[in-house]
Amino acid sequence: MSLPSATDAIRVSDLSVSYTTFVEEPRDLHRRVGRRTKKRDIQALEDVSFNVTKGEAMGLIGGNGAGKSTLLKTIAGVLKPSDGQVDLWGRPHLLAPGMGFNRRLSGRENVILGGLAAGMSIEEVREKQDSIIEFADIGGFIDLPTITYSSGMFSRLAFAVATHVNPEILLIDEALSAGDAGFRDKAVAKVKEMCHEAQTIIVVSHSSSMVSEMATRAVWLHQGRVKMVGEVKDVSDAYSKFQASERETAQHDRSIADRR
Amino acid sequence: MTTSDSPTITRRATRTGVPPLGQYLSEAFRYRTFALYWSKADIKSRNFETALGRLWHFLNPLLFGVIYFIFIGIIGGGGFTNTTRLGFIVGNLYVWTYFSAIITTGMGSVQGGGGGVAAQSAIPRVVLPLASTLTAGNLFLRSLVAYVPIHMIAARGLHWEMLLLPLLLVITGMFGLGLALLFAVLNVYFRDISRLVPHFLRLWLYLSPAIWSYDRLVGEGIVETLAQLNPMYWGMVSWTMMFGGQSGNTGPALAESVSIFAACSVAVLLIGFFTFVSREDEFAVRN
Repeated sequence: MSLPSATDAIRVSDLSVSYTTFVEEPRDLHRRVGRRTKKRDIQALEDVSFNVTKGEAMGLIGGNGAGKSTLLKTIAGVLKPSDGQVDLWGRPHLLAPGMGFNRRLSGRENVILGGLAAGMSIEEVREKQDSIIEFADIGGFIDLPTITYSSGMFSRLAFAVATHVNPEILLIDEALSAGDAGFRDKAVAKVKEMCHEAQTIIVVSHSSSMVSEMATRAVWLHQGRVKMVGEVKDVSDAYSKFQASERETAQHDRSIADRR
Repeated sequence: MTTSDSPTITRRATRTGVPPLGQYLSEAFRYRTFALYWSKADIKSRNFETALGRLWHFLNPLLFGVIYFIFIGIIGGGGFTNTTRLGFIVGNLYVWTYFSAIITTGMGSVQGGGGGVAAQSAIPRVVLPLASTLTAGNLFLRSLVAYVPIHMIAARGLHWEMLLLPLLLVITGMFGLGLALLFAVLNVYFRDISRLVPHFLRLWLYLSPAIWSYDRLVGEGIVETLAQLNPMYWGMVSWTMMFGGQSGNTGPALAESVSIFAACSVAVLLIGFFTFVSREDEFAVRN
């Protein structure tokens, strides 16, 4: 368990998260009716502990299946801990563009719906509505049903709504769709502005360079466990070395297999 | 802010899976405006591509009632001049449509992630079926506009029992919501539930005194007792009296019917709620 700091914003203590899912078994050629599914227990996180202090930007790095998104979702409250606990001093906001949108409503109506789903009050949404529409920059399409939008336009609007929330704790997953290339720079600048305004941030990425750019400290997760916590540079370097050695091992295994 | 202050939010594992209720309910209350807008958006987006648009909110229940009236007039041999029967069937079918819509849309609201809300946000998932209940209630009240002329043609009159409309609306909403929550959880584990529910509801309609009068079972002994094991027996008896009054009533008393229906609704809602909240993160994992 991590030691409490005087100004914790997030304290994750001995956190474990597991869930059950069903996987479909290969189809039996003779079996034409029904589906064969097998129950599978997934231990996504195990005994994870770390603190994030107020005003700190923490990066989460690790490969596929490391548990980064599960950890972020547990802090956000989407998933429940199976063991241990998460204490938060402030309300978290998981940046999820398009959440709560109804594709049959107009862009303007979706600004309200998406803003409310993101946790804004109706007064706050109305106050920010013009700024959101201006940021999305989709012109007269704002009054048309979003089902008529191109994917780029939809992403712009969704991103504009999601980034106009002022959270105390901001949680960012790497899979951020910010629309077309022309909009991407504006989107990145907006996320940085949000990070600047938010008191505390956790940013998740596969890429240690993205984390290095945005965070001051980092947690490296590997197969659901904490492998390292420390200054972002130290953790990123260690992770990069680990990735390089993993690649080398994989290449070595492949060459042995080829020779056979 | 120091760690000596208690945290704003604590997330911890609980033995039963039920989150701390105070925190959960206050979070759900915080999203009440979202529930209202979600419900409004749902109503607005229905019939989006049709020429008659919102007029379908009135036409649908009207056509539904007329079709049943013709069907029962032919099959049941009741004839088409029996306007009292028309009023009885249409009124009760609007109630049944309200009740079944809460279950099917409430269950479907969390299925498939609920527009990303179930899979990506900390909004208490119970808000989504609750919003669907509001939608169904709103559409039911609109359908009553279509019912008014039928009520007049059927000469069902004005009577004090009509004052029970808001109470019955709430009780039916609670009963439907409780079942929607239970079915939503079951559907996570057994995906075929969503396919079975409409058939189950149709069978339930025929077993409840919605398109046949409860008077027919009075004095039928075991058959009447079995029929009364169905909570919707008491629900439909209450609604029938609300629409048509108690004059000439030979069945159960209104107070008795409403009380039994209310007790069943509270029980089902509590069971549904606790089952749902103890399993609700399954919607994020399995949808």
